[in-house]
Amino acid sequence: MTGTATPEVISVRNVSKKYKDSLALDNVDLTLEGGKIYGLLGRNGAGKTTLMSVLTAQGFQTSGEVRVFGHRPYESDRVLGRICFIRESQKYPDDFTPAQAFKAASMFFAGWDQAFADRMVEEFQLPAKRRIKKLSRGQLSAVGVIIGLASRAEITFFDEPYLGLDAVARQIFYDRLVQDFAEHPRTIVLSSHLIDEVANLLEHVILIDKGRILVDEDAESIRGSAVTVVGPAALVGEFTAGRSVLHRETFASLASVTIDARLSARERAEAGELGLELAPVTLQQLIVRKTMAATGTDLSVGERDSDAELEATK
Amino acid sequence: MNRVVNVARMQLINKWTYLGIPAIILASAFLITYAIWALVPSGGGAMYSGAAQSVMWYFLALGIMSMTQTFPFSQAMSVSRRTFYIGTLGLFAVVALAISVLYYVLGLIEKATGGWGVNGQLYALGWLADQPALVQIYFYFIAMVALFMIGFWFATIYKRWQATGMLVVWIAVAVVLLGLVALATWQGLWPEVGAWFVAQTPLSVSGWATVFCAALACGSYLTLRRATP
Amino acid sequence: MLIDDSRPIFVQIAERIENDIVDGALAEESQVPSTNEFAAFYRINPATAAKGVSRLVDEGLLYKKRGIGMFVAAGARAKLLERRREEFFRQYVQPLTREARKLGITSEQLTQMLGRSDSGTQLPEGSVAQ
Repeated sequence: MTGTATPEVISVRNVSKKYKDSLALDNVDLTLEGGKIYGLLGRNGAGKTTLMSVLTAQGFQTSGEVRVFGHRPYESDRVLGRICFIRESQKYPDDFTPAQAFKAASMFFAGWDQAFADRMVEEFQLPAKRRIKKLSRGQLSAVGVIIGLASRAEITFFDEPYLGLDAVARQIFYDRLVQDFAEHPRTIVLSSHLIDEVANLLEHVILIDKGRILVDEDAESIRGSAVTVVGPAALVGEFTAGRSVLHRETFASLASVTIDARLSARERAEAGELGLELAPVTLQQLIVRKTMAATGTDLSVGERDSDAELEATK
Repeated sequence: MNRVVNVARMQLINKWTYLGIPAIILASAFLITYAIWALVPSGGGAMYSGAAQSVMWYFLALGIMSMTQTFPFSQAMSVSRRTFYIGTLGLFAVVALAISVLYYVLGLIEKATGGWGVNGQLYALGWLADQPALVQIYFYFIAMVALFMIGFWFATIYKRWQATGMLVVWIAVAVVLLGLVALATWQGLWPEVGAWFVAQTPLSVSGWATVFCAALACGSYLTLRRATP
Repeated sequence: MLIDDSRPIFVQIAERIENDIVDGALAEESQVPSTNEFAAFYRINPATAAKGVSRLVDEGLLYKKRGIGMFVAAGARAKLLERRREEFFRQYVQPLTREARKLGITSEQLTQMLGRSDSGTQLPEGSVAQ
């Protein structure tokens, strides 16, 4: 069973990371509790990998304080040994095979489950005896996924773990993640821009954009927290007046307006009587709208496919 | 401590890198040299070969590789930079010591067999072979460590500052060397410099190399502490 | 996917279990799948599934047997039916009679209409509410 006591495992205070000409992390404040699956969402280059690097002491912040299990993770083998972070662009020794990488992982992660790793090698149809540098992008991702899951580290970071994986392999990953997490509760941070695919797996959502945290909320309280109202423009305008509008589209005399509000049963009935249609907003759409509202790129008219921008480039 | 040992064990998972390839280089260098000696008629004098050094140059490449490939992987294995550094240098020191002893033993065999029966000099180089055993082993050892450290240090610089860092280091090295040459020429010190080099013994060369290695070891550790994978 | 985006997932999980109790798929005193089984089946976060289940425990519809799992409480079906009938009344009957009054339909006429409608579609007791 999960959802029991959840003490704080990571705390981030005023962390900024400056590169020569850009701010990759902008005064980030976060607290992560143990035993949850976190979704770290955001566009490419939003700061997801930078944040995870800083949390695992693989990278360095310019200012601010990071604590993992109450200690600074930098150069602390005691803290690091309880963490696993395989980068999206993880490098392996040139002459290593996946089987050898797993053998190395078994030396460093106390909770390593070799039988579990072997099962996943079969499921992903990974050629474990082929050199890693000869693997395809998808097979390379599978190596990272297997190390991440089989390490059973108390905090495991997955950095866009599905790159190059086909739909079947991604489903295997999600299924194994849910199943293994249920049996061995721990903290998972899943960085992704394929939000629809992972939405239901998440307990908590962190949305980062241009190095700033836009959303840091329980996934369930986000779900259904916005709604799209569709109908004749005048009526839609009347119904949504005075509400926080995330997105507005018009087409001929019709309008489709997404509002940041959870409607009561009475309000839903009222919309029905006015002949307005209410459409649910997926987590992905909501994230896209919030990102755009924050950047000020949206609130324009007639951008039908704007939500594809966050994700569909892959 | 356990993790330090594991860093060394991790690099031995693939036996080829630290054991197989050096063994092959060692064996083939000997066989090729021996074949050449057998084919080329000598005028009866001793035949020299620098082929034995080839393994040492391989360690230069190893130094670069362990920094560019093994370090990023060790980060994914949640190993601290300090632990990675100690484990890697420790493993390398053990391997270098083993090869040094092997060189010394091969040198003894070479002398005993009259230069492998053809009056060849591959291991028991004249300048070195008369020295006490410990000095010989120390000399080989420190030479290999120096090459490894050079490779390792350059790779750390590259890891941390990329191409810019390399460029700056190369320019700095060139400037220092040119400066020394210019100084020697301008002051007319060349005779003294020459005399100094001639006066060096294997032990004193090893001593200088040790100072050099210690400086590189400190430099690469300090650079590594802030390097990112 | 069997989960929709309009409402929190734990609410949907709770409703699914309720539906199974109402239509008899989950008999009283029978064991309910574990939260981990729910999580794996619906591909959702186990904590979310647990939240849905514990909501039903709080309402007295499920109870926990230590070390074994969750079971449907005795009287759960009756309790749910009662609640859903009440909902049915508020959601359908009240607007219906209100509208009927507006149109000048007497309650006899309304009863007659309902009788006529019922011969067309037969709905088993209790399965009206969604």
